[in-house]
Amino acid sequence: MSSRFVLSICTTALLLTRAMGDETESVAVDELRSAPSVAMTDVMAVAFVKRYCIDCHSASDPEADLNLASFASTADVAASIKQWNKISERVGGDQMPPEGSDAPPQSSRQAFVDWIRKSIHAATCDDGITPGPPQLRRLNQDEYANTVRDLLGIQINAGHALPADGAGGEGFDNASETLFFSPIHAEKYFDAANVALSHALTNPDTRDRFIPAKPAEDFQPLAEARVVLADFLPKAFRRPLRDAELDEYTQLFALAYDEDGEFASAIQFALRAALVSPKFLFLWEEPNSQEGPVLVSQFELASRLSYFLWASMPDAKLMELAAGGQLHDEQVLAGQVARMLRSDISTEGLRRGAKVRNFAASFTEQWLGTRALGREFQPDPVVSEHYDSELAGGMKYEPVFFFEDLLADNRSLLNLIDADFTYLNKRLANHYQVPGEFREQPKKVELPADGHRGGLLGMSAILAVSSRPYRTSPVLRGKWIMDTFFGTSPPPPPPNVGALDEGDLAVPTSLRERLEQHRADPACASCHATMDQLGFGLENYDVLGRWRTEVDGIPVDARGELPDGTAFDGPAALKRLLLDRKQQFIRHLTSKMLGYALARELTNEDDCVVEDIVAELEENDYRSHTLIVEIVKSVLFRYKQGQNRQAAVVHPTPAAANSDAAAQLSGQHQPLEENRRDK
Amino acid sequence: MTNKALPQTSPQAVYLDDPGQCRSHVSRRTLLRGAGAALALPWLEAMMPRTARASNVAEKDHSDSPIRMAALFVPNGVRQDAWTPESEGREFTLSPTLEPLAELKDQLLVLTNLWNQASDFGDGHYVKTSGFLTCTTINKSLGIDLNCNGRSMDQVAAAHSSAHTPLPSLELGIDPVTTGVDTNVGYTRVYGSHIAWSGPTSPLARELNPRYVFERIFRAAHPRQETLKRDAQLLDRVLGDAKELQRRLGASDRQRMDEYLQSVRSIEQRLQHQQEGKHGSAWKPIVDVDIKKRPPGELPDQHEEHVRLMLDMIALAFQTDTTRVCTFMFGNAVSGRNFSFLEGVTAGHHDASHHENNEDKLRQYQRINRWHVEQYAYLLGKLRNMQERETTVLDNSMILYGSGLRDGNGHNPHNLPILVGGRGGGSLAAGQHLSYSRDTPLANLYTAMLKAFGCDTKSFADSTGALVNVLT
Repeated sequence: MSSRFVLSICTTALLLTRAMGDETESVAVDELRSAPSVAMTDVMAVAFVKRYCIDCHSASDPEADLNLASFASTADVAASIKQWNKISERVGGDQMPPEGSDAPPQSSRQAFVDWIRKSIHAATCDDGITPGPPQLRRLNQDEYANTVRDLLGIQINAGHALPADGAGGEGFDNASETLFFSPIHAEKYFDAANVALSHALTNPDTRDRFIPAKPAEDFQPLAEARVVLADFLPKAFRRPLRDAELDEYTQLFALAYDEDGEFASAIQFALRAALVSPKFLFLWEEPNSQEGPVLVSQFELASRLSYFLWASMPDAKLMELAAGGQLHDEQVLAGQVARMLRSDISTEGLRRGAKVRNFAASFTEQWLGTRALGREFQPDPVVSEHYDSELAGGMKYEPVFFFEDLLADNRSLLNLIDADFTYLNKRLANHYQVPGEFREQPKKVELPADGHRGGLLGMSAILAVSSRPYRTSPVLRGKWIMDTFFGTSPPPPPPNVGALDEGDLAVPTSLRERLEQHRADPACASCHATMDQLGFGLENYDVLGRWRTEVDGIPVDARGELPDGTAFDGPAALKRLLLDRKQQFIRHLTSKMLGYALARELTNEDDCVVEDIVAELEENDYRSHTLIVEIVKSVLFRYKQGQNRQAAVVHPTPAAANSDAAAQLSGQHQPLEENRRDK
Repeated sequence: MTNKALPQTSPQAVYLDDPGQCRSHVSRRTLLRGAGAALALPWLEAMMPRTARASNVAEKDHSDSPIRMAALFVPNGVRQDAWTPESEGREFTLSPTLEPLAELKDQLLVLTNLWNQASDFGDGHYVKTSGFLTCTTINKSLGIDLNCNGRSMDQVAAAHSSAHTPLPSLELGIDPVTTGVDTNVGYTRVYGSHIAWSGPTSPLARELNPRYVFERIFRAAHPRQETLKRDAQLLDRVLGDAKELQRRLGASDRQRMDEYLQSVRSIEQRLQHQQEGKHGSAWKPIVDVDIKKRPPGELPDQHEEHVRLMLDMIALAFQTDTTRVCTFMFGNAVSGRNFSFLEGVTAGHHDASHHENNEDKLRQYQRINRWHVEQYAYLLGKLRNMQERETTVLDNSMILYGSGLRDGNGHNPHNLPILVGGRGGGSLAAGQHLSYSRDTPLANLYTAMLKAFGCDTKSFADSTGALVNVLT
């Protein structure tokens, strides 16, 4: 056989294959069009890419440095997950293909996104779940204040002078990687401990815990101090003491006591040391020297729970359950979550003083960006004549109380998109023109059925932080929705593309007209065609979220049309449209919540857990407790990485059956010492 | 915003190999042996035995006119055509934006065509803020792997002067750390809120309340002798706790505990300064601190008042010699601060900086730039009014003023707006507008400033030597 002949056979075979391939592809595309509910196959996905993406994303200088020319199967997705996450985001968010290009029908768009997610899920999740490393992080400013308050039983904010903490990971200031320790922190912690302890040791309600009420004649200061410290230190360090620790702190007391014989100042001295010790200031988990992941210890789990749901230290009940080796029990965990999320509401609709508010405030303010109110966002005097501290307070607390309500009463998380109630104080009720009796405290109220309020998008804090200080911006508000609800953050404008001048409030009609240019220019349209249009739907709200029907005498036009042709008019219709995308919303909320719970940035592997929780939420009416309980039960929350960072937990210890295992793993801990002072 | 791709390799932590490292009590070999852990140390001092540190205190510099160095950072760049003076040399004419400095011209260096190559990547703001004083390329990160890959020049100076003052340095600002992470560009906003880095992974938190700054200065001058001993005992305990935890940690986690150790030791160092003892007499301020000059406890509502009180604190810290190194941020990167308190200004700072060559926005932008220069002039004037023997505190200072980008519309780090005020104790050839060849490293200026500060610095980050014509 000549070599030429071999070649010719090969070529024919190749040609044949290609022809068949093309045929399969065209069938696949037809299939996509005719039977959109069919789950996508690899071949169909390749066909989709060829048809809709490859014109721009191939060749030597592909758009956005994304070259899909050689894309052939699900294996390619597994090989570059990050890139495909982005693709799924852009296609799912209607940003790609860009306006003006051949666009897929919504159903095949969705099928393609589902196929990507499924491919990623299969690539990352089939080998089990890989937990993160043991925690080592400083308490942030809020956690410090809450912890000192709960530890000493005093009502002062001991953290007020600390520097604010920046955010990392999923955008929260509890991320271990961005909680630095600067010299100024050391100074502040020394001072704050002194102030807080002086308060606790002079306050009649708390004093007895630290200073024996009536020294008897055979008063033994050292023994007394030891009793005080044996009670205090395990609480401060959130775990039973190690052997030498009680001695070390008792010696510190003795140093001071020997000097002047003053019990109060000597015990304050020892307590102060505890409050500036890294054992108190850092959430510190025992390193895992084993090869694979292990369960976190009982006491570590108690702290993970309490800093997640209270942004504060574990209480006596959690410590007791940990000491009894019961916390890893699934039933116990669910029960504790329900207890920790509780917040009682009075018949007047007032909620007061539940620890879950720390969590509601910390999570919502950062997820929604409303912490910027009064910080990065200050309304301009020209639009804020009615803006005062009481209104600002009402605005700031509305989403916090609302979220606290969803948590405490196990409501559907879809209330975040639309709801028939909210929380208003007097000024905010007036601002919204909601009738009723109100005071300075926010109170729960049924909303009128006019569709103006209900859900996050009717809340003035959100409408304000997504505005410019002196006028509304459909671009920023649309971006806020994409970012906050769906996690599809548009990239910054490409270099050398001039920004559109959104112009002045004086010509509101031309603002819309000028923004329409975004759609005319393909470079802008891929993002703005969605962003601006979503934002138009909120034009009935002014900078501070007041309802308006006209601007400078011209009626508000709150119509929008998304790239897939869906049209809407006004916020009520916009919310219905967003509810149609509830799966994407819930997925994003879940990943935010998981990132907050774990206090770190999520990885691709973590998305496996997100997907599982989303499935669980879909089956449970999107109830808030399902979200929290599923996070707390997850491998990510209950385990810590070993020496092999890639090692996964394939069959997580079923929580109900593991208390022995858990107790073994936390073997270094002894039960809490029962030597509390009798009062 | 520009969004260039990162280079294949980002410049490495240059300062560790830097012969100009101000103090090196740790041998290079020790450093190399320690590899990862050593990189993470904010102050190399960690490796010094206690006695070595104590003897440093004993070597106090008793010169009455110490050299001080401050760096003032302005976000969002400047209006280009109103910034650069037209003529060069000593007979230059101030540009419209620089006019507020007319009275101080003989104390001023206007430097043209300096650039920060290492920050010409990544994004429009964050890279150019955290990299402003480090001249390194920061890691693109939302938090994990956050790293500036260097150390800021003020901290190199602080390591040099900290043996002489109760506080090694002061980090001051106006805005709290900007909330959240910027998923648009992939950087945590922590980067946009810090210019001082004591080590690659340790940005230094800033004090925002002038009252608290005053209290630190006052306390340094008026320690309560009776508490000094107890404080030292307490420090021993918590340092012991930190070391215990440190021993149990894996190598990769030690750096956080290192930061704790270093921070607590900075208090220890202050206590040592304040104690009469075998190391000599206790530190005394050059002039006493008057408690009646204490700023109000509440943060001022007015931005200008807040800024001026902070600048007052810099002046006080320098005058008393509580510290010789200070950094101050007028605002965080991308600051949208509302400047409508200035006549004719309606846009926020960042908004106005994206001027698109719109005449009205340019005018507002320039007005905001000029306001910042007015505050700078206020500080220089204040230092000049502080007599120090035959000279003034300004004569003995180097007050850097600048932004990490040139033009807010273009976001590039070429021809940065850079000023230096003061004579650095006679080392700086003040009173000139110096224009260099295009793209002269900003790090060359820092090298020169460190030299003037007394460091034996031959090179800093990507510098190619000390900037010419700046030193006398």
